[in-house]
Amino acid sequence: MAIKFAGEFEVKKKPEEVYDFLTDPKRFASLLPDFQGLTIQDATHFTIKVNVGISYIKGSADVKMELAEADRPRRAQYKGQGSLAGGNVTMVAGFDLSPTEYGTRVKWQGDAQIFGRLASVAGGLLEPLGKKQVQKLIDGLQAALS
Amino acid sequence: MVEERNNGGKGWVGASLPRKEEDRLLRGRGKFAEDIKLREMLYLRFVRSPYAHARILSIDASAAEALPGVACVITGKEIAAETQPFIEIGPDHAQKIRDFPMAVDKAIYQGEPVAAVVAESPGIAEDAAEMVNVEYEALEPVVEAEEALTDRSVLHEAAGTNRVWNGVWEYGDVEQAFKDAAYVVNIDRLHFHRFSSTPLENNVIIGEWNPKDDRIYYGCNNSFPSFAIQFLAAHLKVHIDKIRVQTFDIGGSFGIKITSYPQMAVCALASKKAGGRPVKWVETRSEHMVASAHGNERTFRNTRVALDKNGVITAIDSKHIDDCGAYPRYEPLGCVIWSQVFCGVYRFKNARIDFWQAVTNKCPVGPNRGYSRMQHLWFLERVIDICAHEIGIAADEIRLRNYIRPEEFPYTTPNGCVYDSGNYPKMLEVAKGLIGWDEWRKKQIDAQHEGRMIGIGIGTTLDSGTNNFGQSQIINPYAPFSGNSQGANCKLDIYGEVVVAVGSCPQGQGHETTAAQVVADVLNIHPDLITVRTGFDTERNVHTGMSGTYASQFAVSGLSAVHGAAQKLKTEMKRLAAFLLETNEDELAFGVGEQGPEIKANATGKSINYWGLANIVNVNSAVLPESLYDVTLNCRYVWRAPFKVPDTKAKYGSLTLTYASQLHIAVVEVDRETFVPKIIDYVAVDDCGTVINPPIVEGQVYGATAHGIGAALMETCVYDEVGNMLTSTFSDYTPITSMNIPKIKYGHTSTPSPHSYSGAKGMGEGGAAPIHTISSALQDALFAHGIVINDSFNNADSIFRALKAHDGGQRAELVKLERKQASSAK
Repeated sequence: MAIKFAGEFEVKKKPEEVYDFLTDPKRFASLLPDFQGLTIQDATHFTIKVNVGISYIKGSADVKMELAEADRPRRAQYKGQGSLAGGNVTMVAGFDLSPTEYGTRVKWQGDAQIFGRLASVAGGLLEPLGKKQVQKLIDGLQAALS
Repeated sequence: MVEERNNGGKGWVGASLPRKEEDRLLRGRGKFAEDIKLREMLYLRFVRSPYAHARILSIDASAAEALPGVACVITGKEIAAETQPFIEIGPDHAQKIRDFPMAVDKAIYQGEPVAAVVAESPGIAEDAAEMVNVEYEALEPVVEAEEALTDRSVLHEAAGTNRVWNGVWEYGDVEQAFKDAAYVVNIDRLHFHRFSSTPLENNVIIGEWNPKDDRIYYGCNNSFPSFAIQFLAAHLKVHIDKIRVQTFDIGGSFGIKITSYPQMAVCALASKKAGGRPVKWVETRSEHMVASAHGNERTFRNTRVALDKNGVITAIDSKHIDDCGAYPRYEPLGCVIWSQVFCGVYRFKNARIDFWQAVTNKCPVGPNRGYSRMQHLWFLERVIDICAHEIGIAADEIRLRNYIRPEEFPYTTPNGCVYDSGNYPKMLEVAKGLIGWDEWRKKQIDAQHEGRMIGIGIGTTLDSGTNNFGQSQIINPYAPFSGNSQGANCKLDIYGEVVVAVGSCPQGQGHETTAAQVVADVLNIHPDLITVRTGFDTERNVHTGMSGTYASQFAVSGLSAVHGAAQKLKTEMKRLAAFLLETNEDELAFGVGEQGPEIKANATGKSINYWGLANIVNVNSAVLPESLYDVTLNCRYVWRAPFKVPDTKAKYGSLTLTYASQLHIAVVEVDRETFVPKIIDYVAVDDCGTVINPPIVEGQVYGATAHGIGAALMETCVYDEVGNMLTSTFSDYTPITSMNIPKIKYGHTSTPSPHSYSGAKGMGEGGAAPIHTISSALQDALFAHGIVINDSFNNADSIFRALKAHDGGQRAELVKLERKQASSAK
């Protein structure tokens, strides 16, 4: 099952500052909803531990992340993969940055593919829940970059 | 008791006896596979693929193996190293499919087992299963059969194609019939949806591999064990005689439990790895929904129907594409089984069906009540209704014009099947009478004036029973199966008790009762004096290679075997009694005396009871003359159906022995606000020839009707575009319950079969009549709105979408009518 996200916002920071924030997992990852911990493997690979609670499926998931595209200060793209209780999630999330009169316009788009029991038993909940969580993340990003 | 010995002279076959099983089952005293506890038993839990199509990069089971209480973890790779792939029934490239009970290099449906954890308790096994870390590389999934046939993404790389099988059935002169037609109706696409059965009891298997002698014991609820052991012996590389299978009470199967042999293999291999301790697997409901077996999904493309000026079908030409899920397994038998009902209940002689089957990244299919025939019968009923509406002939009238006529039976179909008996016009008449056809037609017109959407639909269907396994050779000429057989044993035990054992494994069909009725008539005693051992057990030595419970056949194959065994026993008893009572065999009378069941000499009045007979053979044999040493009072009989191997090139021959028929009528209203379809009146009329036990038949009719109504309106297996099954729980799948079943008016007609000793026909599957009937009624309700029902599953959502699509012309896109000659069909 596929869930797509997209949107844009504007912040009063330079594209370079926004880019540096977005590509620094130590600053960026803690904004994720239900964030529990972070392990950094190298400059482009890190693992985030998040709490998951969907219907009766509860637990924590390790999501392996890779900074797949890094074009300072224009574009950053992450690819991730995680598993929980018989389900797997793969995701791609990209940020395109462009300078504006006041700062930077951030266009973001995401694509998550959900496989397995998560999609089977909680399919109807995933899209609204996912969108809510993404909105929380975006709100957090905007606040952090303000 | 004496007066009841022959049911007042009427005999016990046909009597409305309560089921012998009832007392045990209704009091909760049945014994099911889950009730079996063996010493040192371990419990198995599968680790399943979340992906519909993914390469397995690595499996790390170290954390699970380290958990206290875990006995072992077994993977697909280990199994592949130790076993042979399962036998493939399909020919050519299908023979190259490497089917193991767990994924080896890649998983090809969501829920496919990739590893199994064996532990001291089910809870530990479940926890440990979550600790097995499997790394996957997702591959492109294919979830539609038509797309699969393009081979864009191939599931079984060794086979090199997703096509499992393809063949053309062609009879008569199809093109000439189209040239001569008054009307040609073209139907672009019809689709029969994927649904399953939801038996009360899921699959349960206990497997024990004894390391001392390499014998394997199974306690399970597989419903076709004689078939399973043939697959298992070759796969496990053991002699078939080393496998013992025992079944107990079974809480429903509907065919689905035929295909549990892969899990049976895993339980045995896990037991072997665990040092021979028995291993039990109890399937969860979600596992059952995702990964047991579903019914076949089928798409019908580019259908052309030729009709004469009276609306009589003269030819059908169509392409059918069957989706068998990830592995063919019991398939591709479904590629030929539909042709048992090639022309349905209709007379057309010219036809061309181009049949294809493909694998997809979905749960493998298996036989499911009405297996393979219901898809085809639904197709034919859709054809008849669409033609009726397009040409403007009433639904009942077009059927009467096309039905095989009563005087034409036994009727040979274009592909050589012989329909034994039937009277479809009579069934229609009875059903119309029961539902009040004319009144409903008037009410329908009034309702239409009020803007209501009410439809009246007819479904005429067949339940072909006792199949000729020779049809497998149409699929693969090297398939080593033909005919059909069933075994039974009838004996006088040492103390003279009549004990019958059969090779079937009933799941609610009342075999204990009906077998007792048959033997009671042979011996002229009350059925309560007969003990029937049901539940399969290879060590009873009753079964044949086709024993089990499937394909609507017990009334014919099972009871013929029971009847044959009882006759053999009676013959032996007569010989023995004639010697002991010093009279001729034809001077003896069977009955019940003061000392129980006995045989009496008519001339002298002397008698001997069954204990006396059994005593002399078993423990007092010195009085026996040598000429009676062959009398054992323990008689096995194997009944064989009188089949020949079909002509595999012409695809011609008798494929089934009996053809029960069902005719249903439904009145359905679609709510104008919510689009919810609601059944407001329903009739089911059944003809299964001679009825052995009327309440059992009626119960089967109600069960099959409920099953079909559920399939038509509530139950569908939904997959998303990447192969996630979205209906893996009952809250999503919504199986039918007693709350959703309308009041059913039941009627019965009887045309005894000339092909069975008693005139009975198998009837348990029911032919999925409600699916045809509800599609018919919905089309009747919605045709005025431009809707042609082109899917077997319809609910409020799909009806709403169809009505919405009508603005763009759903009917116009789907159906084209060519009027080739001036006519007056009405």
